[in-house]
Amino acid sequence: MTDSLRYEVSKALTATSLVLYIPANFLPVMTITITGQVDSLTVMGGVWELYDTGLAPVAAVVFLASVFVPVVKLLSLYWLLALHGSDIAQSRRMKVHAFLVRIGTWAMIDIFLLSILAAVGQLGILASVQAEPGALFFGAMIICTLYAADIYKTHMIWRQPLPQTT
Amino acid sequence: MHAAWAFAMAAMIVLIPANMKPILIFSVAGNSQENLIITGVEGLWSQGFEPLGMLVFFSAILAPFLYLAAVSYVSASWTLQRRPPFLGIVFRVAETLESWNLLPVFAIACAVSVVKLRTLGKVSWEPGSLWILVAAILTMLVVQCFDRRCAELYVEGVK
Repeated sequence: MTDSLRYEVSKALTATSLVLYIPANFLPVMTITITGQVDSLTVMGGVWELYDTGLAPVAAVVFLASVFVPVVKLLSLYWLLALHGSDIAQSRRMKVHAFLVRIGTWAMIDIFLLSILAAVGQLGILASVQAEPGALFFGAMIICTLYAADIYKTHMIWRQPLPQTT
Repeated sequence: MHAAWAFAMAAMIVLIPANMKPILIFSVAGNSQENLIITGVEGLWSQGFEPLGMLVFFSAILAPFLYLAAVSYVSASWTLQRRPPFLGIVFRVAETLESWNLLPVFAIACAVSVVKLRTLGKVSWEPGSLWILVAAILTMLVVQCFDRRCAELYVEGVK
């Protein structure tokens, strides 16, 4: 794959995840039913619920992993791609890119959480956790941001684009 | 590289009980249920979220195992200085799967889910979670020890 194609694919994936970000955060990711009480939660709602039950540190972990990380990722991907081909802040961009690749997978925490909770769904009427469409969007968004960061290689930060001759 | 081989082998062995033993037992009003990694996949699958089930299956069960197998293949061949077939392909597999190695994330998700379930009913830790934790730590050590640059040069035949 050529560098310019990599750049285009990375741009496309970033745009896709930006679009997916909206349903991922506004649609509920799961519905918890416990002894008749039904509760639909969005990603942020899950964080609030943890916070309300007095589990602030756990809420902070989930907030960092599934709300903060995706936002930071999207913003810095956008920044990296906007500066592609220029010679501004190259070494800083390299550090940001390495950081992006490293934190990329942390948002998966929410999907794993859902998978462990969904197993409880088999307890029947007493307690059940039902996955909701928001989770699909969330999962898709994570994969898109992961690949967007992965496909953009570090050396592309340093390489100047060739003059266009078409 | 010797260490990477050792850690990768150890982690693969630890992964077996991590996948076979229940992580936690959740009970509400006398009904209790054992949870394994695979139960979550089944749960998502049966609720009609096959893509998510597949994603969890791939990133929590398949990818860690494949990654460890690929790393031990490459580092073993480096240690023994023998060139088995498909070395290049196996190295590419290890490289690609490194970012899909989500065991540490899964271990944290386990801890969070226990805390969350505690508000809903009774939860107890099971040995499976401990095995997952050990496997997660071992895989992090593998990532630390596996010298990618060195392996790349070796695979390409420079060294």
